[in-house]
Amino acid sequence: MIRSRRTGLLLDALGLAVAVAIAFPVFWMASTALKPTGDILSATPQVLPWPLTLEHFRTAVTRPLFGDYLRNSLVVVSTAVVLSVLVASLAALAVARMRWRGRRAYVLLILLAQTAPLEALLIPAFLVLRDVGLLDRLPALVATYFIVTLPFTIWTLRGFVAGIPVELEEAAMTDGCTRVGAFRRVVFPLLAPGLVATSIFAFITAWNEFVFALVLMQDERHYTLPVWLSTFRTAFGTDWGGTMAASTLFTLPVLVFFLLVQRRLVTGLSAGAVKG
Amino acid sequence: MATGQPVATAPAGVPGPSAAAAPLPPGRRAGLRLPRRGWLPYLLVAPSVLAIAVLLGWPLVRDVMISFQQLGLAEFIQRRTVWVGFANYHDVLTDRFFWTVVARTAAFTVVNVTATLVIGMGLALLLQAVRRAVRVTLSVALVLAWAVPPITATVVFQWLFDTQFGVVNWVLTALGGDYADHSWFASGLSTFGVITLLVVWQAIPLVALTLYAATTSVSDELYEAAAIDGAGGWRRFTSVTWPSIRPMVLLLTFLSVIWDAKVFTQVYGIRQGGPNRETVTLSLYAYQQGIGSRDFGTAAAVSVLMVLLLVTVLAGYLRLMVRSVEEAQ
Repeated sequence: MIRSRRTGLLLDALGLAVAVAIAFPVFWMASTALKPTGDILSATPQVLPWPLTLEHFRTAVTRPLFGDYLRNSLVVVSTAVVLSVLVASLAALAVARMRWRGRRAYVLLILLAQTAPLEALLIPAFLVLRDVGLLDRLPALVATYFIVTLPFTIWTLRGFVAGIPVELEEAAMTDGCTRVGAFRRVVFPLLAPGLVATSIFAFITAWNEFVFALVLMQDERHYTLPVWLSTFRTAFGTDWGGTMAASTLFTLPVLVFFLLVQRRLVTGLSAGAVKG
Repeated sequence: MATGQPVATAPAGVPGPSAAAAPLPPGRRAGLRLPRRGWLPYLLVAPSVLAIAVLLGWPLVRDVMISFQQLGLAEFIQRRTVWVGFANYHDVLTDRFFWTVVARTAAFTVVNVTATLVIGMGLALLLQAVRRAVRVTLSVALVLAWAVPPITATVVFQWLFDTQFGVVNWVLTALGGDYADHSWFASGLSTFGVITLLVVWQAIPLVALTLYAATTSVSDELYEAAAIDGAGGWRRFTSVTWPSIRPMVLLLTFLSVIWDAKVFTQVYGIRQGGPNRETVTLSLYAYQQGIGSRDFGTAAAVSVLMVLLLVTVLAGYLRLMVRSVEEAQ
C-alpha cells in the first residue's frame, strides 16, 4: 500500500485505538474477576485490578454443584467430539478420495445439514427425546452435540484430505507400501494437524452451546457450564466478581484452544467450515 | 452464531488464502483420476447418512407433523394425538404479535448484518494499511473478541452496561453525559442497541480477518499501477480491492443473515426478550410458545415458518457452495 507518513501515523493510531476498544470487554471481565468486591462496587472504577485477589475464583468454584457442571460439560463435549471426528473421518475419505454415484447429492446433504437453523428444531427435539425417554439425560446432549458438529467436521476434514496429493500415496505404494501402510505412513501424519484443528473446533462449538442444554436438561444437576453461567446473575444477585470469575474460568480453555487453531482456520478457510 | 463460533465456509473458488492453505486437488485432472471402489464409499458414508437421517431428519418430520396437531399440556401428558389441520398456522398468522416479531427480526438482521460487514470491511482495510506491530495487536484483539463464548460475552455485556456500577455509565458520565444510574434495559430499543453491539462485536472478527486474508492476495503491483494511472483511494478500492473480495463478501453476507436471523443466546441471555417482550425475536418466540407456554403445536408451526423463511436465504448460499465444489472437483 502507498501511504504518506502523516496519514500512516494517523492510521496506526486509529488501529491501536480500535484494538483497545475491541479487547476492552475481555480485559474488563478479567480485571473485575481479580478485584476486591469493594473496588468492583465503586463509584469510580479502577482500570487495573490492584490489590489482586483470587477470592472470586474461590467463590465460583466452591459454588454447589460446580464440580457436576464441569464434569457434565467435559463428558458430554468430549464424547460428542470423538464420535463426530470418527464418523466424519470415514466420510471425508469417501468424499475426497473416491468417485461414486451420489457423491454430489451427499455433498449437498452435508451443506444443508451444516446450515440448517438448528434452533428451529428445538421443539421437535424436545418431544422426540421425550418419546425415547432421553429428556433430561446427558446422552441427549451427546447426540445433539454430535449432530451439531458432524457436518462441519466432515466438510473441514474433506478439505484437509483433499489437500494431500494422491501422488504421495501412489509413490509410497510404488515403493512397496501396502494401501493401509501408505495411509498410515504418508496420509495420516500429514492429516494429523488438520484432525487436531478440526477436533478443537468441534470441541469449542459444543463447549459453548447453550440453547439445547437450556431446554433439554431440566434437573439442575444436569446443567452444563454455559447454562450455569446464564443463571449466575439471578443466583449471585449482584456478585459481579463471582460472575466475572466464573466467566473467565469458562472462557480460558476456549481462548487457549482458539489461539492454537485460529491461524489454521482463517488461512485454511477455503478448506472447510465451522458453522455457528 | 447462537450455537458456536462464527467461522465460515468459503467456496473453493474464492481468491484469498494462500495456495498452501487451500487443500484442493489441482484442478479437474485429479477429480478424474479418483478410483471407483465399488461399495466401499457407501460403507464409509453410511454412518453419517444414518446419523443425519435419525438426528436431523426425524425431528424435522416430527416438527412438520406437530405443526398440524393440537399439542398442549393436556395432550402432552396423556400422550394423545389430536389433528387440527392448519389451525396452528391460522393462529400464528393471525397473531399480530407474530408479525411484530417477524418485522423486528428482519430489522434486527438487516441492521446487524450491515453493521458487521461495513465495520468488518473497514477493519480489513485498516489491517492492510497499518504497520506490522499495529496489525498484530489489532489481530490479537479481534481473535480475543471472536473466541469469547457467546454466553460469556452476554454476561460480560450485562456487567459493562450495569445500571449502578457499569463501566459504560461511568465513562459516559465522566465525558460529561448524565448517565449516572441510567438503565440500558428499560426500553426495547435500548436493549436491542446493547444486543446489536454484542452481536456485531463478536461477528466482525471473522469478516475482518477473512477479508484481510483475501486482500493480501492482491499484488502490490496492481495498486501501484492504479496509483500511476491516477486512481485515488476510493477508485483503488472499487477497481482493485473490491473485485478480489466480492465473492467472499457475498458468502459472509449469506452466513451473517442466517446467523443473525436465528439469534437466540444473546437475546435470551440479556433479558429473556424483555422488557415487556419488546426484544422477542423469532427463535425466542418459538421457544416461549413451546417450552414456555407448553403450546407445542403453535411453536412447531412457528419453527416450520422460520425454516421456510431461512430456506429462501439458504437456497442462494447452497447454489454458491455447490458450484464451488463442482469447480474444485
